[in-house]
Amino acid sequence: MAAQPKKIIIDTDPGIDDAMAIFVALRSPEVEVIGLTTIYGNVYTTLATRNALHLLEVAGRTDIPVAEGSHVSITNGTKLRIAGFVHGADGLGNQNFPPPKGKPIEQSAADFLIEQAKLYPGKVTVVALGPLTNIALAIQRDPAFAKNIGQIVLLGGAFLVNGNVNPASEANIFGDPDSADIVFTSGADVVAVGINVTHQVVFTDADREKLSRSDGKFAQYLCKILDVYFSYHHDAYNIKGVYLHDPATMLAAVDPSLMTYTEGVVRVQTSGITKGLTILYNKQKRFGEVTEWTDKPTVKVAVTADAPALVKLVMERLMDS
Amino acid sequence: MDYVMANGDGEGVVVVDDSRTDAVFRSHANSHRDKLIIDTDPGIDDTMAIFMAFQSPELEILGLTTIFGNTSTENATYNALRLCEFAGCSGIPVAEGSAAPLKGGIPRVADFVHGSDGVGNTYLPPAKAKKSEKSASEFLVEKVSEYPGEVSILALGPLTNLALAIKRDSSFASKVKRLVILGGAFFALGNVNPAAEANIYGDPEAADVVFTSGANIAVVGINITTQVMFTDDDLLELKQSKGKYSKIISEMCEFYRDWHVKSDGVHGVFLHDPVSFVALVRPDLFTYKKGVVRVETQGICTGHTLLDQGLKKWNSSNPWTEYSPVSVAWTVNVKGVLDYIRKLLMKP
Repeated sequence: MAAQPKKIIIDTDPGIDDAMAIFVALRSPEVEVIGLTTIYGNVYTTLATRNALHLLEVAGRTDIPVAEGSHVSITNGTKLRIAGFVHGADGLGNQNFPPPKGKPIEQSAADFLIEQAKLYPGKVTVVALGPLTNIALAIQRDPAFAKNIGQIVLLGGAFLVNGNVNPASEANIFGDPDSADIVFTSGADVVAVGINVTHQVVFTDADREKLSRSDGKFAQYLCKILDVYFSYHHDAYNIKGVYLHDPATMLAAVDPSLMTYTEGVVRVQTSGITKGLTILYNKQKRFGEVTEWTDKPTVKVAVTADAPALVKLVMERLMDS
Repeated sequence: MDYVMANGDGEGVVVVDDSRTDAVFRSHANSHRDKLIIDTDPGIDDTMAIFMAFQSPELEILGLTTIFGNTSTENATYNALRLCEFAGCSGIPVAEGSAAPLKGGIPRVADFVHGSDGVGNTYLPPAKAKKSEKSASEFLVEKVSEYPGEVSILALGPLTNLALAIKRDSSFASKVKRLVILGGAFFALGNVNPAAEANIYGDPEAADVVFTSGANIAVVGINITTQVMFTDDDLLELKQSKGKYSKIISEMCEFYRDWHVKSDGVHGVFLHDPVSFVALVRPDLFTYKKGVVRVETQGICTGHTLLDQGLKKWNSSNPWTEYSPVSVAWTVNVKGVLDYIRKLLMKP
């Protein structure tokens, strides 16, 4: 008998690669998507909610609830960094899709996360694709959340590499560093996939060409919105392709064996010029003094990825739709 | 009184002895020797680097400036004077540096690494020579102004004195020939805590001033220096060699080696300062990455050194944009560097 599919909640700020990740999840028999929660990042939270509803309508999956998340960072910061220049002003490649018919549920993202974790203790995986405000709020509101939640697989951080917002910081962590530090030190079962790994997972012009020739519904949809994302990558990184940050992270939740991991304490710098810097201490070295990393819970951090297998899986699942 | 310091090649080095003020270490044999000032916190591995410099006839050592780090500044001065005297180079001026970091407070001192006397509890005999009347930053500014574009500086401790020199004289940075810094951990764990390396952590504000000063800088981080070590076998070989300073260095290294076993689980010692010295005299044994380096001065990552590798075109300005790049040592020819260090330390 096949194992029960893993229940997942996708915390997301769609976002072009978020759209890909959501579609991949919906085509993955290994997981059952029980909800989307929304957050700012690639777009403001209100637009993220609208896009989440829109994507579920495109997929014909309006049965999946969408819970709207925080509009501000956990320190009530309203000066948010929104990456419209990466994903288009509408977050989905400036396609001016019609507004969705559906509405988000009444519950906030944090309350939805708390409720689902309580309902299926140890069984729900959160795949967090944006800043971690909703997850941190759930941890703060319910002391049992970190224990109840099965796993948090998150896209975030730049481990021993430069960031993508600035040399120090990766965008999701930079979006709410205080929340990130709360999540990393919460004691929950956390798997962090940083851009040191996702930068290895490149979807090329040729892959896109192949996708456009397929009849897959999701493949067709994505080919329309990918232009903006490709031009951004070409300008910023001088590459002919795009990084599959969110789809790679989604697949780490679907099939953890596609990556390898190390374990250690991760702390996030929350002030100064390196705000958003993620530092992993994997206990190789002993320090003479007590440090800010001493006696904190450990998390898993992805160190390598089977990039060809990841790209192949993304392609297959989008074309077979 | 002039006197001659004998060195291994039998080539005489003439010293102008002028204990009233800073003596200038001049060579009549070769006026084109590279001028060097070592800013140092001796320190066991500092001692190794200083003795290596003394064994290098191609260098003209204008002076030592002292700083806290491995020991207090006061003790670093005391040790620097004793090392010069031990080596028969007591004409080399020793200018005492700042007792505390730029922002004040009590400096962090790593006596658990270097012993309570800073030189592995070897208790060298006291020196007769006195320290210079000038402060380290005054001395640095004076020498660099006297020989613009000719003076290299090897900085082996926290960068307070260099920052003070930059603040004292706005032309200092452009007049230094080359500044080689031991400091930082680039895309690697620190040694004070996971984020920070000891020299930068000792005065992060000063380090940020220096890295953004526009000077011609090469920085050697512990990501490089921890690749180069003397094992127990190497230390034994050194002890049994006829090296001019091998006996005293071997004695000092006993304390240092025991700390490495405890801290890193390695049976040997890392050669942080000697490797940095090699980067000064043999830059060809390293490769470098050029980019802007900034230092975090607040929060849990205080002292973190962050290099912009230039892999991405930023769409807006950030704290790294608009500063001059420095050269960050990226790879090291381990065998080449070890051979160079062995040769100098075992030189009679």
